[in-house]
Amino acid sequence: MNNSVDLTVDVCGVRFKTPLVLASGFMGVSQSSLSFIAKHQAGGVTTKSIGHIEREGYSNPTVLPWSCGLINAVGLSNPGVDQSLPHLKEMIVDLKTPLIISFFADTIDNFVKVAEKINSLQPQFMELNASCPNTKSDFGVPFALDASELRKLVAKVRKKITGRTKLIVKLAPNVPAIGMMGKIAEDEGADAISAINTIPGMLISVPMRQPILTNKTGGISGRAIKPVALKAVYDLYKKIKIPIIGIGGIETGEDVLEMVMAGASLVGIGSAIYSRGLSVFSKITAEMKKIMGEEKIHNLQEIKGVIHE
Amino acid sequence: MNKNQLYLKVFRIKKETGRVKSFFFKHELFAKPGQFVMLHVPKSGERPFAVLEEKKGYFSVAVAKVGTATNILHKIKVGEKVGLRGPFGSFFTLPSKKGKLLFAGGGYGMVPLVFLALAAVKKGFESVLLNGAGTSGELMYKTFKHAKIKMHFATIDGSKGKKGTVVDLLNDVLKKEPKFIKVYACGPELMEYEIAKILWSKKIPFEVSLERFMKCGIGVCGSCCVDKTGWRMCVEGPVLNGEKLKKVSEFGKYHRLASGKIAYYKNGQVK
Repeated sequence: MNNSVDLTVDVCGVRFKTPLVLASGFMGVSQSSLSFIAKHQAGGVTTKSIGHIEREGYSNPTVLPWSCGLINAVGLSNPGVDQSLPHLKEMIVDLKTPLIISFFADTIDNFVKVAEKINSLQPQFMELNASCPNTKSDFGVPFALDASELRKLVAKVRKKITGRTKLIVKLAPNVPAIGMMGKIAEDEGADAISAINTIPGMLISVPMRQPILTNKTGGISGRAIKPVALKAVYDLYKKIKIPIIGIGGIETGEDVLEMVMAGASLVGIGSAIYSRGLSVFSKITAEMKKIMGEEKIHNLQEIKGVIHE
Repeated sequence: MNKNQLYLKVFRIKKETGRVKSFFFKHELFAKPGQFVMLHVPKSGERPFAVLEEKKGYFSVAVAKVGTATNILHKIKVGEKVGLRGPFGSFFTLPSKKGKLLFAGGGYGMVPLVFLALAAVKKGFESVLLNGAGTSGELMYKTFKHAKIKMHFATIDGSKGKKGTVVDLLNDVLKKEPKFIKVYACGPELMEYEIAKILWSKKIPFEVSLERFMKCGIGVCGSCCVDKTGWRMCVEGPVLNGEKLKKVSEFGKYHRLASGKIAYYKNGQVK
């Protein structure tokens, strides 16, 4: 029965063996760590965001589990684009799964510089991280929270994405109308949308009388944000035609199917690596096959956005 | 496992050496030798530390003063609370057959080895411990006495035991007593690397604990992943056996800093 279930997905002309993509910020520091994830049956992988200069990030504690997921304020630690280029090249050559290279910067000009450098390597996908919530203190408000700034950013970066590379724009959930932000990105030439990034939040320690994260506030991910992510993808699907990567709290095969029904073509997996281990990709794949067999769903295209009908 | 942060009162503090203190907590951690915990003290941040010992009703953690965070940790007093997560990571494993074991520790690398050696003698293994440091004052467990554990010392300045490194001492001991069935090493990476080369060539099974920059401790952030396998030193490590270590191409060569940038070892120093 399960043999008749097809999990492959085609997005922007690239074939994914399964819709399960490693989300940005998890494990994606090197070719080795991404290969290790790929070996655990990920359908695709995303790097940690690469910026225009080296950043150490915040000091520990930077990532903490809590009762309904994780909170993090890693602070976009990365070696900087110039240091990263040879390693990114190695990833593009060696990885057998589709690769998404995430990038960020503090200003539109620097975004453009980073985009140009990474695009020169011609990766399959580049993901513009317009929405990291951990950079407010240094960078002001994330681009994804301001419609006119987002429009300018995507338009300028778009001009530098040439050749085979497809541009994904990653959006923030904490906006009045995420569908509108998606439409702006689509109008300015994005090839796909990722949603959602983490939701701003904090944890407080009673004995210490202080926030637990060094950065005081961070981004919430995991189980707690799944319904928010579903609603965001639902809103986006109504407004845009380009493919959506649904991210936020996906832990089970059933979660993936819900996300696809809301309108996602691919889904991101991140915090579930903590709650279910690295075998989360193979576990979810098995669960999807089982449910799809029972529900007589032959492929994901059949149910994509079905709740909108 | 205490995955979410837990707050524990320090009930005893012991000075191990000039720069190492151990902190005792009344809590059952169920830690195994080689595993670590993340300790969090306000304003000092959160850092990984090896578990020193675990007995019924309490456990202890050794903290070497090496930087700002550990300086602040050293100021903690009895009765104060610290945040704790763990135990995390892989652990040392004892052989299934009985025989003679060798433990080689450099500096505070002795911490998990003493925990392990005490577990080994309890199970009937004959144990020899090699304890090395820069000077006599930096040696941990200088006065450690156990009827069934033989301890040899090495110091770079020759102030106690053999003048030289733990690697020199290991070469001496292996010449005199070749019949060790397994070796365990923990200390600075280049010491571990020299020991690994000796043991690979002599085909003696061994395990080492490999330290990498850690952030989350729970296997999600990727900071402590090693080339080329991608193994996470907070989950698949820190303890790796000799066979697995052959696949870690960066062992003895380089490691990654907080930003993810690669830093090479050169002449025993980080370049």
